Amino acid sequence: MQPILEAKDLHVAFNGVKAADGVSLSIHDGEFLAIIGPNGSGKTTVLNLCTGYVRPKSGSVHLDGQDITRLAPRAIARLGVARAFQIPQLFSDQRVIDNMMLSLAAKDGLWTMMRPLETEARRAEAEALLGLVGLADDKNRISNTLPEGHRKLLDIAVALALKPRLLLLDEPTSGVSALERFPLMEALMGALRQRQITALFVEHDMDVVARYANRVLVWNAGNIMAEGHPDEVFKDQRVLQSVVGVA
Amino acid sequence: MSNTVIPLLLDSLASAALIFFAAVGLTLVFSVLRVLNVAHGSLYSIGAYVAASICLFIASRQLSPYLSFVALLFSAVFVAAILGPLIERTLIRWTYGKSEAVQILITFGLFLMLEDLQRMVFGVQSLYEDAPVRLLGTSQIGGVVYLNYQIFLIGMAVLVVIGLRMLIRHTRLGRLITAVVADREMAQSIGIDTNRIFILAFSLGVFLAALGGALAMPTSGVAPGLGADTMVLAFAVAAIGGLGQIEGAAVAALIVGLARVLAIYFVPSLDAVAPYAAMLVVLLIRPYGLFGAVTARRI
Repeated sequence: MQPILEAKDLHVAFNGVKAADGVSLSIHDGEFLAIIGPNGSGKTTVLNLCTGYVRPKSGSVHLDGQDITRLAPRAIARLGVARAFQIPQLFSDQRVIDNMMLSLAAKDGLWTMMRPLETEARRAEAEALLGLVGLADDKNRISNTLPEGHRKLLDIAVALALKPRLLLLDEPTSGVSALERFPLMEALMGALRQRQITALFVEHDMDVVARYANRVLVWNAGNIMAEGHPDEVFKDQRVLQSVVGVA
Repeated sequence: MSNTVIPLLLDSLASAALIFFAAVGLTLVFSVLRVLNVAHGSLYSIGAYVAASICLFIASRQLSPYLSFVALLFSAVFVAAILGPLIERTLIRWTYGKSEAVQILITFGLFLMLEDLQRMVFGVQSLYEDAPVRLLGTSQIGGVVYLNYQIFLIGMAVLVVIGLRMLIRHTRLGRLITAVVADREMAQSIGIDTNRIFILAFSLGVFLAALGGALAMPTSGVAPGLGADTMVLAFAVAAIGGLGQIEGAAVAALIVGLARVLAIYFVPSLDAVAPYAAMLVVLLIRPYGLFGAVTARRI
């Protein structure tokens, strides 16, 4: 079966430091793939390469077989790849519902430019998505007044509004309190399953990875050190030493 | 007293309306694209030339003079549809993110080209067709005979302010423009076609400039040099209101209009200086303009 996303022989370096050194990876429909690794190992670069924010020195990225290596982030977003950032990227001075409606309306055509942004159908869809991630009660709040966990969820909901086939998440639980972490992940997983969205996520929290990922890539110095089901990967001594810090 | 006050107020409002048209497009383009378009005044004068040419054609063919009102609006749409996308894609897009000095040099080059282009296409003679003014006639207000066309101009300015406000706050285009202004990268990441937004916003700015020139033409005609005069005045108004502030441009236009008319009524020799004296006073008190802020970026 053809993977949704396939990266082949990616090479990229920043100031001589290799973030990807001939790496190839793929993600298949329905997977929830986690990338773990030490700080500075190049994990976020993978997401940037897949969404057009960074272009590789060599190698290619394919979405459903189509080469997207040189496409702009906007073009890749339009092909069905959405992104949620480590620091939530929101229109901070706008209401939660407005962030959602902007995302829902972003890809509409030129001829609807003069129509109202706020339509009944768009509002209903926005509210449904907010309900899906547990933010229904926050819809009229200004987004920069939300607690960090809710801002993360809103960032994810904004990405879901793009109706992606593939969602890339950069540390979805970072900056979130221990109490909020698993409710956030449950809300996220529920939304992904309901909408049948494949996901690739970078994460530091091994409990989160162990519980939710069905495959793990261990990134180290621009290479994949290990790959497999979390149960197997977390038994690997090299992984435990380099990522978890267990001797 | 009322014999002076009412005409003075009406003259101020009419003057403010024309000044507002000259400045609002400049401030809109700056707010969205962060580009100081020095060629803005040329777009105003091209709007006036196109309007004058069409109105003169209507008169020469003895068509219904009411068509001249359609011609004023059509001129602005025509100029915006042709020059807006053309200038944005060929020149303005290269100035995004560049320093103000580069932007000013490039748009000043564009200004020089457009000024020469106008001389080539329309010649160096003045053009004037006042059919819209004649059609609307006059009224007596406070014992003073007043051109109804000036009241029409005030109404048009109010309509543009309300229209722009509605467009920005309620339409999909306006909300996408606001999103791009707030965070260009975020807008791109959710799939907003920022290039398309830039073209539309710049063309809207060109439309407003050309509409200003077209509406002013029946009262003052159009002649070489109008672009430069308008550009300087538009910058003064935009600076008073705060660059990028549409409401600021409206209030600044009122201030400049009042200053200008007060000068004409009481010290006519200071007519040309009055707008810049008003700018000086405002900027001494508020260096970022009435509605401007050091970091805020609102439209």
